[in-house]
Amino acid sequence: MIYLFTTIIGSFILDHKLQLIHFQQFKDITEFQEKEKGEAQLRKKYQQLQPLPPEKYPLALAMLKNKQYFSLFHQQNMALTKQAISSSVNEDNLIIQTISNIRELDSVTNLLSKRLREWHSLYYPELSHQIASNDAFVKLILSKSKTELMKELHQKQSIGAALDKRHCDQILHLAQQIANLYALRENHEQYLEKVMTKYCPNLLALAGVTIGAKLIELAKSLKRLALLPASTIQLLGAEKALFRHLRTKAKSPKHGIIVNHPLVQKASRKERGKAARRLADKLSLCARLDYFKGAFKAEEYQHELEKALA
Amino acid sequence: MISHKIFEIYEEGRSIFTKSILPGKTHFDERIVTEKREEYREIDPSRSKLGAMILKGCTNIGIRKNDVVLYLGSSHGYTPSFVSDIIGKDGLLFGVDPAPRVMRDFVFLCEERRNMVPLLADAHHPEEYLPRICLADIVYQDIAQKNQAEIFINNCRLFLKKGGYGLFAVKARSIDIRRKPKDIFIEIRNALEKEFTVIDYRILEPFQKDHCMIIVKK
Repeated sequence: MIYLFTTIIGSFILDHKLQLIHFQQFKDITEFQEKEKGEAQLRKKYQQLQPLPPEKYPLALAMLKNKQYFSLFHQQNMALTKQAISSSVNEDNLIIQTISNIRELDSVTNLLSKRLREWHSLYYPELSHQIASNDAFVKLILSKSKTELMKELHQKQSIGAALDKRHCDQILHLAQQIANLYALRENHEQYLEKVMTKYCPNLLALAGVTIGAKLIELAKSLKRLALLPASTIQLLGAEKALFRHLRTKAKSPKHGIIVNHPLVQKASRKERGKAARRLADKLSLCARLDYFKGAFKAEEYQHELEKALA
Repeated sequence: MISHKIFEIYEEGRSIFTKSILPGKTHFDERIVTEKREEYREIDPSRSKLGAMILKGCTNIGIRKNDVVLYLGSSHGYTPSFVSDIIGKDGLLFGVDPAPRVMRDFVFLCEERRNMVPLLADAHHPEEYLPRICLADIVYQDIAQKNQAEIFINNCRLFLKKGGYGLFAVKARSIDIRRKPKDIFIEIRNALEKEFTVIDYRILEPFQKDHCMIIVKK
């Protein structure tokens, strides 16, 4: 009775006492991945070759614990792991990075806009006072001069200082950079929508770009999102509150990130928990449809939800 | 710099060190002390459960020079890099982790330290990496999973040699957040005692919160 035991470094042919008869070393990792080929050849050469029974694994593994194989182990495992790492990148990673950067951009633009308002208010405080939206504020000061704006807003005079052009230029420079960041954010969103229409159309249609991407981010991947129970999806993003509830006697959270969804927002405060539960239910179905390449049913679910929550 | 009670560990004051097998290189911005042309890397007990265990007074971690170590949950490779120092150039460490992100860092580390081997695999399924490793003198596990005890026992059954040591860092908060950590530790200890002999058991406060380490012998 002779046994065949194939490992990452090569095929071992062992006799019934597990003494080594022949060691067919693999030259590279592809030989391990196509090990059936090599095994078939060995089977031709050695008749009555049998696979190693599991109860003899410890002995075979002990035989491998030999210094002469160590560098082979290093080399082969290294190659296989590198391959696995490079093939592990998929749409999930891209979506997660993009949505993370959108969040980063939001906080940066907010911070810079606050500084811009403060700075620009030395020159023309009335504008900052009137325009609430950061985005619109940046666009206005870039496109129009102070005198034009004053005419438009029917202001006779400003309490701001009359700054020289060289002082104003610095402010406008900052505004330009912020405008670029807004443009980048928009670009990101368009890109995200493109990626998601291909990768998870159902989730995109029901949850929208931001919430859909955030759900994938919180679940770490679409696969995991599809495998999660709906009740977990309902609470994704509310982990802190959930564990506080489990640990102490605090109230249980009703919704995580999906609280921002229009259907939940529309519901009255009392009904929000219910709305979140129903929405999570459908989102879970959407994720599963997308992961297992099902039909497009998001619109159907949307109508169902709107009817139920009306 | 004087030798610690534990093999290949050195101490100076309250800090513990390993002798670097790769002088002139730090991987994690750890403090380096040079003495008599030898470089020693400091182990930070708040980053490494093994370091915490040693500082808590453990006298035998079982790891010796030229050992083969199976390290489950290698993460970025902070503790593995010190284990790699302990086992020396002729030892071998198999680092298993299922996350590609941390494995990326670990691969770079393995490229520099030739006695470390990266495996992108899930410790839940030891049969998947069975053809990729050999029998181990030491099994070290530090993973945050609910069934971490089960994983540890399964891996020790398959890959730990008879008389080898298993080092098991228990993270109570991953097992059950509602129960007292100490109850969980005792329960796991009892479960392990059925299969192995427990040699050491220490709670890693104040270095690691809600963690303990159990050292067993097969």
